Amino acid sequence: MPLRNTAENYGSLARFLHWSIVILVIVQFFLAESADELPDGLEKLRILTWHKSFGMLVLLLASARILWKLANRGRPVPAGTGLLKKAATAGHGLLYLLILLQPLSGWAMSSAANYPITFFGWFQVPALLATNHDLHERLEGVHEALFYVLVTVAAVHVAAAFYHHFFLKDDVLRRMSPFGKRQG
Amino acid sequence: MSGSFARLIAVPLLALATGSAWSATAWTTDAAASKLTFVATQAGGEFEGRFKRFAPVIVFDPVDLAHSRFAVEIDTTTAATGETDRDNILKGQEFFAVAQWPAARFETGAFRSVGPGSFEATGRLTLRNVTRDVRLRFTFKPGADGRTAVLAGGTTVQRLDYGVGQGEWTDTQWVGNEVRIRFELHLKNTAP
Repeated sequence: MPLRNTAENYGSLARFLHWSIVILVIVQFFLAESADELPDGLEKLRILTWHKSFGMLVLLLASARILWKLANRGRPVPAGTGLLKKAATAGHGLLYLLILLQPLSGWAMSSAANYPITFFGWFQVPALLATNHDLHERLEGVHEALFYVLVTVAAVHVAAAFYHHFFLKDDVLRRMSPFGKRQG
Repeated sequence: MSGSFARLIAVPLLALATGSAWSATAWTTDAAASKLTFVATQAGGEFEGRFKRFAPVIVFDPVDLAHSRFAVEIDTTTAATGETDRDNILKGQEFFAVAQWPAARFETGAFRSVGPGSFEATGRLTLRNVTRDVRLRFTFKPGADGRTAVLAGGTTVQRLDYGVGQGEWTDTQWVGNEVRIRFELHLKNTAP
């Protein structure tokens, strides 16, 4: 599989970025949920520290995903015509926006609470904004709400991919498949 | 009358006149302008906190270190890190235990000059009912009018020396042992 995207097919780097972000977002959900159930203590601190490091990783991968998409001219365009094609383009745009906003809102939320964030303990990332208790509370709500929006849009994205695969019987699902080449 | 002789007479006379004993200047602290902060490490990242209320007694004269002394009472119930959950843990039983020990105390009378305007003090810090020797580095910068001064410096302590962080919180991988303390006091000489 070539590294770069072609007009018909996603390259290995785009596929790697797509699927690593999917896996990380799922892991992030479970980390956040388990931290939420814990009382304030060391275990919660541990889990949230992983959540924050993974969040910075998502931000990095999402940025790479978008830059790589823009750097690849002749990349695959959404299949279909007319309104459906427009909807697909809008949906993809929204997903790109959400995978950036989700970690950014978390980063801002931690900054507002004066919680330090490190990249896996390797280095500390700067605070995005000054300590502000009320803003922290609001950003916490934003961070959570964004996740539900992300899940909803991602569910439509998955449904659309299956619709293409099973009903339209085209290559749309296969061209982003994590394994192997597209057939035909 | 030579200059040095004049001072020999004038200074004790002045001390008598102002009603004080032979002593270094007693300063009052402008609480609103002054701050006492600390930098601690959480999960490998640094964050700053502060004590909103502390009462310093500062008697200090750079040319009379022998009669200088600091005594600072720190209200640990006013520890603030910008986040309520963390503040509650900090004030709770496993850290400052403010219910039993609502105040920390620093005292020193042992100063030495380490450079122009720079000093070192060896004192005793009591926190959570544990007292340890602490060495303080600071600068003393008098204002142009001689009625004000800025005293700024700090020290580094190991929180576990004072039992700050009990049980699971003795783990220094998640909460660093080293805590840097910084202060900046804006002083006023209110003597007539």
